[in-house]
Amino acid sequence: MACLNLENVTKIYEHGRPAVKNVSLSVADGELLVLLGPSGCGKSSVLRMIAGLETVTSGTISIDGRPVNNTPAKDRDIAMVFQSYALYPHMSVYDNLAFGLRRRGLPKSEIDERVTKAASQLGLAGSLTRKPYALSGGERQRVALGRAIVREPKIYLFDEPLSNLDAALRSSTRNELLRQHEALPTTTVYVTHDQVEAMTMGDRICIMHQGEVVQVGRPFEVYRNPVNTFAARFLGDPPMNLLRGTLELESDGTFVRLSGVSLRLAGHVAQQLVAYAGKDVIAGIRPEDLYEASTSLPEGRTAGLPARVVVVERLGAESILTLSVDGSSDPLIARVGRDTACKSHDRMMVMLDCAAVHLFDPATKEAILWEEKPRLEEADVRAPL
Amino acid sequence: MPLHAASLKKALLLFFVAIYTMLTGGPFLWVAAMSLRTTPQILRNPYGLPRHPHWENFVGAWTQSSYSTYFWNSAIVVVTAVLVVMVIGAMAANGLARYRFRGNNAVRLTILAGLLAPPQMLILSIFQIMIGSGLYNSLTGVIIVYVAIQLPLTVYLLEAFFARIPQDLFDAARMDGYGNFTIFWRITLPIGLPAVFATATLNFVMLWNEFLYAIVLLTNNSKRTLPLGILHFMGSRELNLGMIATGLMIAILPIIILYGCCSETMIKGMTAGAVK
Repeated sequence: MACLNLENVTKIYEHGRPAVKNVSLSVADGELLVLLGPSGCGKSSVLRMIAGLETVTSGTISIDGRPVNNTPAKDRDIAMVFQSYALYPHMSVYDNLAFGLRRRGLPKSEIDERVTKAASQLGLAGSLTRKPYALSGGERQRVALGRAIVREPKIYLFDEPLSNLDAALRSSTRNELLRQHEALPTTTVYVTHDQVEAMTMGDRICIMHQGEVVQVGRPFEVYRNPVNTFAARFLGDPPMNLLRGTLELESDGTFVRLSGVSLRLAGHVAQQLVAYAGKDVIAGIRPEDLYEASTSLPEGRTAGLPARVVVVERLGAESILTLSVDGSSDPLIARVGRDTACKSHDRMMVMLDCAAVHLFDPATKEAILWEEKPRLEEADVRAPL
Repeated sequence: MPLHAASLKKALLLFFVAIYTMLTGGPFLWVAAMSLRTTPQILRNPYGLPRHPHWENFVGAWTQSSYSTYFWNSAIVVVTAVLVVMVIGAMAANGLARYRFRGNNAVRLTILAGLLAPPQMLILSIFQIMIGSGLYNSLTGVIIVYVAIQLPLTVYLLEAFFARIPQDLFDAARMDGYGNFTIFWRITLPIGLPAVFATATLNFVMLWNEFLYAIVLLTNNSKRTLPLGILHFMGSRELNLGMIATGLMIAILPIIILYGCCSETMIKGMTAGAVK
């Protein structure tokens, strides 16, 4: 059990621009923090610095308050699961699992006990004598997981451990990992570019972009309250729609004018909006906040945008409509019911929930009405969402 | 007619493989045949087959001449040199392949420059060094020279292989708590075993047949290695073709046995399943 703290951590590779810039993060004891971001955003570099596999250019990484910048990887008591699994090809499954334990000089009986326990937990009991090349992708992944589990380390690091698995296996392994974490909460940093993993697994999510932390928060909080257009579009599939419009402050309310239609923003007029009166803004609308004409939302909370259906994707449980809004060049994506009668080239009035509209500054791309939530206390972190 | 074209291609390929096999295997079989015949038989019909094989030729060569001395000299020199060159070469290759350090490239280029220098160019200076250091006419001196001349090739071949071992394996071993030397010993070497065997075999063959340095550095009959011994046979007595052929077979056999033992390991790819 351990608390992990990163303070202004920067990584600059030889002859390169900074891969990680001033990252400050704290992971509470037993918390699972997901680092989420596109390829090259620096999330793996952060993980490797925590592991001790990369040096820290500046800043401090500490475990339980003790700086570990100069502690070699082997002495940090951290276990890591690699994307490539990194199984030792010349060793049997048993030896792969026992390799780290032998280094720690544990008695043979204890090594045997731990390996057997982990193997049966992961359904590998029958494969202990096999070599990695004789295992399926899923089994290799479980061996990689087992190698971390048997060590019973202070901190787990996961570097996209599920990305080489097929969809069904990924989902079951994700649940298995989650079950393991709930059974024995251990401080964990989990790197992924898959937002489904991030949303379902993380106690908190940290979105990274170009080496910097964009937003940290509980998954639903980040999803519902993105700090900028990057966070807004990165979390959510299909991503949030961003439409250019103009903000108008009228005596009877605040409106966003989008291609000839005025959307009345719900609630009071925030002070921050005054500065944007009459100026361009970006309106963000999640696909699930768009509806076909009939909707059960209260009167006055919805507005209709005239649009033409470009593509209908029927996914079985739902349908995804790609729409072209009249007078706007930005495509609009709506998530509607599976029974939709829409066809390509149909004209429709797409309804949107005005209360769910996010506003962003077109120059800075930052959310206009975003307010930082009070910092989560340690006890709060694991509270049910 | 794709089928016809394919069989024609196959036939052509077989034809060239057959020619190549005859060119390489033919002389070997000829020497093998001669080694089981007597010199008068060979002189009468050089290309004849051994109708009544004279196995006693081997016993004779081993006991009545100095072949046994030459053989053991060769064995001591070559086995020791190969062991030493493999240990140093593997460590150097690992260092160059795995670690980034200042001057990494300069070290690599200096070592590899050794591949470019022709032995004839080096022989005079090496001769002087051996005389000066009192190692002339000693097996130790030849071992040191053999290690030096084989090191560049060994580093070159092993570095290329070690560099292909995924970095994640080393990182995983570091996370498991191991230091650099143990990782080299427990991860790099076992995974690189096919390359290590292949390089060791190549070194063995090259050194077993090495002639130029041996003839310059070893003049004492009791220190001669096999290639020198065979030459000595040709010069010091009348041309005993049967005995020379037997000597050649004795010289060739260890290499064939070595290849027979190691070829499978050399070919077997052990990295399958390492990643993904």
